[in-house]
Amino acid sequence: MRVRNQFLIALAGLLSVVTFLSGCSSRPAVPAAPQHPDISGVWLGGGKGSWSTTRAKPGTEPDIPYTAWSLERMKGQRPGSGSDSDFENTTDPALKYADPLGFPRQYQHPLKFKIVQTDDYIYQLWEWNKVWRQIPLNKPHSDDPDISWYGESVGKWEGDTLVVDSVGFKDSTWLDGVGHPHSEELHVIERIRRVDPGALQIDFTFEDPVAYTHPWISQHTFKLVPGGKMTEVVTTMSDELHYRERFLQQKPPVPIRR
Amino acid sequence: MNRRVFGMFAMAAGALLMPSPALAHHGRALIYDTNKETTVKATITEFVWSNPHVQIGIEAVDANGTRLHWLLEASSTGILAERGWSRRSLKAGETVTVTFHPGLRSAPTGDLIKVVFADGRGLQAGILR
Repeated sequence: MRVRNQFLIALAGLLSVVTFLSGCSSRPAVPAAPQHPDISGVWLGGGKGSWSTTRAKPGTEPDIPYTAWSLERMKGQRPGSGSDSDFENTTDPALKYADPLGFPRQYQHPLKFKIVQTDDYIYQLWEWNKVWRQIPLNKPHSDDPDISWYGESVGKWEGDTLVVDSVGFKDSTWLDGVGHPHSEELHVIERIRRVDPGALQIDFTFEDPVAYTHPWISQHTFKLVPGGKMTEVVTTMSDELHYRERFLQQKPPVPIRR
Repeated sequence: MNRRVFGMFAMAAGALLMPSPALAHHGRALIYDTNKETTVKATITEFVWSNPHVQIGIEAVDANGTRLHWLLEASSTGILAERGWSRRSLKAGETVTVTFHPGLRSAPTGDLIKVVFADGRGLQAGILR
């Protein structure tokens, strides 16, 4: 009996040591990754013509702080839509040259876009002309960002809001469909928030010391399209000229695909 | 009123005052009589599933009894797809009832509003919002 008791005591001690050692050898607990709101999905904005929140004639809107430089540029613009439009003779680069809409104008197109969300990146995929944007999270801007159609964007979460900071834009694109100009100094800040399960709200701040005397704001809300199918909708210069030939009787100035 | 408060006020007022969102490609008002709708029973002569606008040729008799050929435009393929259209929605030779905003120019053009088929089914052409 005595031997049996000694054996049981030794076994209990061994188990205690094993338990202690196994506790020591386990990896330290990894802190849970922060849970960010889910903004993924297919979103539809329904189209927007101007970033101004008023109906005032472009160039006179009280919410847009024009500089002399941008007012001068506005004088020469002939948008294809809006109250001051001249579709036939438009100077809109997205129509006249079939240029990319650029950013942030891409948001105004009435077709859908999709957000794909990962821990490190947010991706936006637009149906219109198959445009995409990649937003690295918690990264700084490049030291000297390239100048491009859609700029360079970086993002970070602030609570329930994704804050996206974008710079490096070609100055040939328009901010919107009525021709608000910008320079290569344009800096756009988006605050993206899912305000309810079916709605994504983006608050924009536009900063551009060449074109605007101080930062100004706008907003666009998108609704969720559950199961939304992403289609290809590409328009080329040939498509534009073919349309103009048929509906406006404008002779194509160059050979076009038929 | 500071600038931020003014901005918020302007945004709220703008939301109430803004007209229907502008179309992506071009405004309609200078090309079509958007206050007028024409409805005709028509034969489809062509259906071009294209961008920036889907194009539809129709032949029909106008209010004066004259047989006319109209060229109608609709939205882009993506927008129509959201409305339930596809590249096979219309066939040449098919008879349908078509409603459109007539063109303001001499050329017989129109901005499609809807198509109604013989069996009563309908397809709308505007932007889904």
